[in-house]
Amino acid sequence: MRVHLSSDLKRGKKVQIFVDGETVEAFAGETIAAALLASGIKRFRYTRKKGDPRGIFCGMGVCFECLVTVNGESNVRACLTPVVDGMKIDTKSGWLAHES
Amino acid sequence: MNRKELVVIGAGPAGIEAALTASELGVEVLLVDSFPTAGGQYYKQPPQAFEDHRKKNASQKEGKLLLQMLDSSNVQLLTGCLVWGLFEDHDKGSWVVQLALPDRPMQVKADAVIIATGAYDRPFAFPGWTLPGVMTAGAGQILVKTQGVVPGSKVLLTGTGPLQIALADQLIHAGVTPVAMLEASTISLWDLLRHVPVFLGQFNRMVEGLGYGFDILRSGMQVRMGWAVVEARGDGSVEEAVIARLGPDWKVIAGSEEKVQVDTVILGYGLVPNNRLSRMVECEHEYVAVKGGWVPIRDETLQTTCPNVYVVGDAAGVGGAELAHVEGKIAGLAVASRCGRGKQSDFQWRYAKLRPELLRQRRYAKALGELFTPQPGALSLFRENMTVCRCEEVSYRDILDAIQLGARSVNEVKMITRAGMGNCQGRMCEGLIAQILLNALSVENVDMQRIGASTVRPPLEPMTLDMLARASQMIETEENQLT
Repeated sequence: MRVHLSSDLKRGKKVQIFVDGETVEAFAGETIAAALLASGIKRFRYTRKKGDPRGIFCGMGVCFECLVTVNGESNVRACLTPVVDGMKIDTKSGWLAHES
Repeated sequence: MNRKELVVIGAGPAGIEAALTASELGVEVLLVDSFPTAGGQYYKQPPQAFEDHRKKNASQKEGKLLLQMLDSSNVQLLTGCLVWGLFEDHDKGSWVVQLALPDRPMQVKADAVIIATGAYDRPFAFPGWTLPGVMTAGAGQILVKTQGVVPGSKVLLTGTGPLQIALADQLIHAGVTPVAMLEASTISLWDLLRHVPVFLGQFNRMVEGLGYGFDILRSGMQVRMGWAVVEARGDGSVEEAVIARLGPDWKVIAGSEEKVQVDTVILGYGLVPNNRLSRMVECEHEYVAVKGGWVPIRDETLQTTCPNVYVVGDAAGVGGAELAHVEGKIAGLAVASRCGRGKQSDFQWRYAKLRPELLRQRRYAKALGELFTPQPGALSLFRENMTVCRCEEVSYRDILDAIQLGARSVNEVKMITRAGMGNCQGRMCEGLIAQILLNALSVENVDMQRIGASTVRPPLEPMTLDMLARASQMIETEENQLT
């Protein structure tokens, strides 16, 4: 959920990102992690061995839990990477490996 | 090869002070940071795409001023730049810093290195701690403060010490009053009284703390002392938390459990020094629980047992931004003096002026450490099938089995189970594994020094093979140019 910002702090301009094919609204300057969380998405990936859901944990690039696939590039840390208009994000990473 | 008299790693309060101090005395300084902008976690600014015209509080003003001074200084700043290796050079006593920039590798030879890599949130484990919706206070703070996003609508804070109080205040101001804040430590009146002289010396911090206390009282948020979240449950993400009363050693008091409906659990169990680089070069470290864990042994100029390698700020023991500022200045002075800049008498005089502040901040850090350090009884929260190593998905049972097989150190547990070999390289689990070992081997009378920490090797963080290959090519080319 986005906090109502006061008039003296303005978000960047509105952008569109695509999360697992769905259109999600975000704002320039936001990290992928913040944009996903603001849209109610908490699970960012599944683990490879057990298929457990994972999301933001440390929030500062240390724990590598928030890994998503961005425009086909895997293992991108959502907490460090800013959104870009038209970005395609895949949060199903690890799931296929678990299924097979 | 690029050559600098000083490379400072980490552009938070400690690193910036160190770089500025040395640079003002004429030292050639390169300051690197892995984040896109300088400031570290403490002076983190909202994204550049945001328009920020807010009134700044004292620490934000201080941060802005420091960053402006950095801008107008002679310090060369490289951001978005990962230090993946630090090696002693052929001529001993100088160092080669291996860097990965977003688009290319780079190496710099340095006469001295100051490590100022800060700290990260201490991982605290219980069944369900890997569920989405469980996150650290640092993560919560970044989301609220710099991104303007609240992590959930029903937030439960659990932890120990002042970090979560600050976060509670930020959440209240953001319009999402947490359901409750649980402080795991039980602090007696005597505990508080014996630290009064130290706290009185921290006027600004006390005023800040009173402000938080007032906001919290007014918000009606529930506060419980001696309580903690002992389990998080939910299908896919947190839906419910189990809280329980803890004894003085943090053992769960059976029968005290209560269920709370929440969607977010935030862990504020203090910080762990991030000193992987000083561990990688194998200077001597010691385990000091009240400083957050393993810390480098340093002389009074803050130099480690490796010549010309200094560690300052939280990376050398959690002590907060004020201590980081002073330590940065001291190490910056020491390097300048080493490089023959300024008179030795000037150095002595400036050092003597900084020393009272250094001791004052260290006393405060120690008092906080004594009041708010997790206690060994917290292991009573663990369940056999609970994940301990989040990256390699190693359970508590797996680790106990390894100990049964004869593992007696963090490294041996790592070799048997793979715990600590994943993406985070043990940053999340090694402290937990050490506690498990300490507890399981209590009859053998082992201590942390024996249990140790996992060996740190380059690359410090996962990097692409492409970047590693290009680095190796660059190193070879530059070696050939030398001969």
